[in-house]
Amino acid sequence: MTVRLLRLHAVSRRVPTAMAAILACAVGLRIALIGHWDSYGALQLPLVFEAGAAGAIAVATASPIGEPERVTGRWLPFLRLASVLALTAVAASAISTGGTGGQLAGGTLAAVRNVAGITGIGLLCAVAFGGGLAWAGPAGYLVVGVFGLYTQWHHPALTTPWIWPDRPPHDLGAAMCAALVFVLGITAITLRGARDRLGE
Amino acid sequence: MTAVGVPAAARPAAAKRRQLQALARLLRLELRRNVMPLILPVAVGLFWFTSYRKAMAMPPLWGLRAASIQTGAVAAFVCPVTGAAAWMGSREARRRTIDLVTITARPQWARQLATWAATASWAIAGWLVCATVVYGVTDQQAAWGGPLWWPVAVVAASLVAMSALGFAAGALVPSRFTAPVVAIAAFFVLALATQPIEGSHSYWQISPLVSTAWDIGPDPSLGTFYPYLPDLAIAQLMFLAGFTVAVLAGLALANGSAGTWARRAAAVVTTAGLLAAGTAVALAGTAHLDGDMIAIPALHDAANDRPLHYTPVCSRTAVPVCLNPAFTIYLPAVAAALAPVLKEVAGLPGAPTRISQVAASYQQVTGNDVSVGLPGPDMSGTVFPLVLPDQVPAPAMTPSEVAAAVRGSAGLAILGVVINDGRGATGAQRAVAAALRMAVGLPEALPSVVGRQLVTLPLPAGVQAAARRFAALSASARHGWLAQHLTALRAGRVPLAQLP
Repeated sequence: MTVRLLRLHAVSRRVPTAMAAILACAVGLRIALIGHWDSYGALQLPLVFEAGAAGAIAVATASPIGEPERVTGRWLPFLRLASVLALTAVAASAISTGGTGGQLAGGTLAAVRNVAGITGIGLLCAVAFGGGLAWAGPAGYLVVGVFGLYTQWHHPALTTPWIWPDRPPHDLGAAMCAALVFVLGITAITLRGARDRLGE
Repeated sequence: MTAVGVPAAARPAAAKRRQLQALARLLRLELRRNVMPLILPVAVGLFWFTSYRKAMAMPPLWGLRAASIQTGAVAAFVCPVTGAAAWMGSREARRRTIDLVTITARPQWARQLATWAATASWAIAGWLVCATVVYGVTDQQAAWGGPLWWPVAVVAASLVAMSALGFAAGALVPSRFTAPVVAIAAFFVLALATQPIEGSHSYWQISPLVSTAWDIGPDPSLGTFYPYLPDLAIAQLMFLAGFTVAVLAGLALANGSAGTWARRAAAVVTTAGLLAAGTAVALAGTAHLDGDMIAIPALHDAANDRPLHYTPVCSRTAVPVCLNPAFTIYLPAVAAALAPVLKEVAGLPGAPTRISQVAASYQQVTGNDVSVGLPGPDMSGTVFPLVLPDQVPAPAMTPSEVAAAVRGSAGLAILGVVINDGRGATGAQRAVAAALRMAVGLPEALPSVVGRQLVTLPLPAGVQAAARRFAALSASARHGWLAQHLTALRAGRVPLAQLP
């Protein structure tokens, strides 16, 4: 019964497609890392794929059922939590694995931090604007992160930990900010779900 | 009955008017039911964070800010615009209304074009608001020049192309994942396509992120001494227009989108669009560095090679310091920085009677290296050519930073030219130049290249002692001695021992 419920929830949220998109991001990163990149490109490259994976997770929160599901499913918050946690874990491990053997800027630690933080932004956007448009958060933050990395060369550099992609992997402040955003996002999506209109 | 009541000529005109009214109503509906206004705040916020603040931190020079916001705006708008357009493109499939709208009077392609046009219009409106704010503020601050419209046009054309790409992707692959995938893929392609740019003749310069020579970046000289060259912008517009036309016409090729004749016409238009885009890429590959901008021979207007006419702004000093009026904000600081040096040499034979700002000379070396220097000799008659440090590729500087740098570069150069303290200078020449440097607060010894490093070696003991002795004289005594002996000193006929 529980397994069937989980499966049905995952299918309704297009979790298999999201998984495929995440794996495509990891494979894309692996292929891209084969190429020769200058310092700019090498730093920005992982962020693009991390944002892509986070965007897929955020979009996978959209519910095609809406109100009826909310009023009848008491397991819904747990199902939402489980699917988002599972997808985030898959994304973090896939992106880290995708970088194995290549020159992954920041290494595994930075990849996990970035994926978690950007996913948190996507989840908050899903709660605020709906799952269908939740990609705007990760995509927008990608531009902010790339700009933050750009300022490392073109001063004045942005040093705020809220732009965690341009902080070193061991930066505690950046890790805490990313973790806080992720926790906020996952709490909000668990309790409220994505704000979707029926029929989107 | 109707044939009698209506004049024959009025019928097609009325039908055409009704058709246009219907189109306008469709566009109005699409403008109201569009997701772009919801996403635009994200794009505008990104523009503010990444481009506006950066542009406002730069000196108020039109060329510099215009080139800077082209790159910034394209990067800020690409994700939101492409993603929102993909979302709109997949609307009918997402809402499962394809069957419902298929039976309407208009073909699918025409409906799609209306949706796309509304999406692109919102994006352009957002960009125009951003550009208006930047140009409005610059207009209040800039001392000379006017707005440059080529960068604005390139960004607008980029938004049209991005929305066409996103819309086509959404229409062809209607999935909730299409929008994020297309948005991030578009950013990836656009931003990292600048990686392979090497030199000024790279095909990759066709990327709308490139507003000027990629190796130099936006610099304050843009459009100040010579006209802003539109060559690259024209090629980019050609590429973006061709790309947009090809993508939109390609939509009509999908089965059931339009009638047979319309699809045949669309095939021709798609081919023409691709040809135009390909030609633009080929033209970008023929580019070369012209001053600090990119020139494309086939698109180049020779009139743009003529220098701009301007009346320089000059300081009211004994030796006037004259700058291009665009750089007026620097004049008080630069004149004050050079005043001690000019006071030491004023009226001496061979001393400059005027300091005049000139355009820096740019030359592509190898790969991505560009050499920057003076366009001519150190001195032309009695006019000393000045290149402000802010004119060369470097982070934007405040007037006081520019003044300090001018004192350390032009100040030294003026003393070197007047005393003839260059390579092979005599001990007396070196001592007098060092004394004057000390007198105006510049370092006694100059750095020189040893091996591959810049090192400052102390002056030889005899030269140093003579320099300190000469520097200890009063300003009038130094000036008097120089007025009498400078010609002989410059010719190398004054031995070190003869210095007072």
